Amino acid sequence: MIHVRDLSKTYTVHEKAPGLMGSVRSLFARKTVARHAVQGVSLHVAEGEILGLVGANGAGKTTLVKMLAGIIHPTSGEATVLGHIPWQRENDFRRQIALVMGQKAQLWWDLPAADGFLLLREIYRIPEARYRENLAYLAETLDVTRHLHVQVRRLSLGERMKMELIAALLHDPKIVFLDEPTIGLDLTAQRAIREFILSYRETRKPAIILTSHYMEDIERLCKRIVIIDEGAFLYDGPLDQVASRHTSQKVITAHLERPASLPPAVLAGLGTLVKQEEYLLQVRVLRARVAEAAATILRELPVADLAIDEEDIGTVIERIFRERRVGPS
Amino acid sequence: MSRYLVLYLHCLRFSFSRAMEFRVDFFFRVGMDVLWYAVHLVFFWAIYQHAPLLGGWDFDQALVFAAGLFVADAVHMTLFSNNAWMFPLLVNRGDLDYYLVRPVSSLFFLSLREFAANSFLNLVIAVGVLAWALARYPGPLEATAVSVYVALLLLGCFITYCLHFLFMVPVFWMHNAAGLRDTFYGLNRFTARPDAIYTGWVRRVLTTLLPYAILVSFPTRALFESDVGAIAGHMGLVAAALFALLLVAWRRGLRAYSSASS
Repeated sequence: MIHVRDLSKTYTVHEKAPGLMGSVRSLFARKTVARHAVQGVSLHVAEGEILGLVGANGAGKTTLVKMLAGIIHPTSGEATVLGHIPWQRENDFRRQIALVMGQKAQLWWDLPAADGFLLLREIYRIPEARYRENLAYLAETLDVTRHLHVQVRRLSLGERMKMELIAALLHDPKIVFLDEPTIGLDLTAQRAIREFILSYRETRKPAIILTSHYMEDIERLCKRIVIIDEGAFLYDGPLDQVASRHTSQKVITAHLERPASLPPAVLAGLGTLVKQEEYLLQVRVLRARVAEAAATILRELPVADLAIDEEDIGTVIERIFRERRVGPS
Repeated sequence: MSRYLVLYLHCLRFSFSRAMEFRVDFFFRVGMDVLWYAVHLVFFWAIYQHAPLLGGWDFDQALVFAAGLFVADAVHMTLFSNNAWMFPLLVNRGDLDYYLVRPVSSLFFLSLREFAANSFLNLVIAVGVLAWALARYPGPLEATAVSVYVALLLLGCFITYCLHFLFMVPVFWMHNAAGLRDTFYGLNRFTARPDAIYTGWVRRVLTTLLPYAILVSFPTRALFESDVGAIAGHMGLVAAALFALLLVAWRRGLRAYSSASS
């Protein structure tokens, strides 16, 4: 459904020295620099797949989404989405996609969401019966039926985001771009939206590209992720293989029966200390030494419970970013 | 075409619903525009206290010209002005994004999305003033001539729209539209005077490249003078050229659109 090859986007931005003199100088002689928002990325997304784009602010996630949605033109490279070149913005292409941006509203602020949906029905030429059916399904699933006739500005942030999702999905898009759909929402609303996305994908089978800063979104929704940093892909593959491919360590967590600690020399021999409290010890150890380390902990400490886990996915990804900037620790 | 009409009717309905929400603003704007009309009428009345003709028109003809100006202004304020005003903000804040993913003309939507419902009452008042100015005109006015006049006045409104958006489109590259906006409104003052007062190269520029002088003056001349075909042809050509230019500039602008960081 989505095929991307060597796609790049470079912005030219000007730099200004601080202060008034810097402003005056920049008026006459402006120093410009090229900022590579996306650098030669390639990608394929299949029908019904949810792809998570993971990266820090400014990593290039949103720029990539906007190129694939046809909003901005790339500097170079190729992409086809449903057989169309997105930035040519053919109506047949735009009728089959949807975009939700967590930080931007598409509905009319001063009017009830139901009014905005009527306009969208006309824009997408949704047949009356299908419109009613879809609206009922979406509103019921998201539990906002009773809010449809309330002005958008009077809704809570979570309710507004649910209305935005309805607005985006009324026309049964084949591809859905979700850019930070849970940003700023409380935990309950985040969970509700995540569950809705899973249920929607199960029933309607669109391809979904999701960006989110919340690892829980990514972990709950995506089987495949792309880790992006400074516009380049660092990883494209199954979520559950990120840890095994990018870390040679596991985490041992020991809950203790009574307060105790290991001698510093023993602890240093095990691996890296993650957390130490009166009743808890957590260390990161090399995979090859897990058994030996676990045996030492069991021998030296009054262990009530012991767990050996892969590293938390968020931690692994953070370390990947950190190591790119300052080198392996 | 009918689909776009339906879409526009939705926008109309939304705009009216929203305007009614803010009553004080609604009536304040009506009051401001009525004051603007009064200032113009007093201006022409004062001039004709000292001169029998201005640009070849007597007071009765100038009154029709002024009333036509009110209608043209009210049409522009009601249909396009708010949209042109908002457009640079939408570009700079990256708020064009949602318009670009919809399967409809983005130029249509961004030009007509907001209907200034509070200016609509002014349009009704302006049409009333024009009807009064035409009714009190002492000379003979045929229905056909009045119809052509109204059609050309609306063509003038379309040209104003093209000019206004052409002044706004460079915001895709410049990112600051304050100067462009001021230039448009500054030049728009040429519209408020009879075209005959401009001569030489100034006239050539104001009737072709920056055709402010033709917007209301030419329809009025078509009403009172005989050369209707040439006037209509001139306005038609200018309208077609400006709209073609707007479409090209729009397409290039969208290519340069960089949205904004989220």
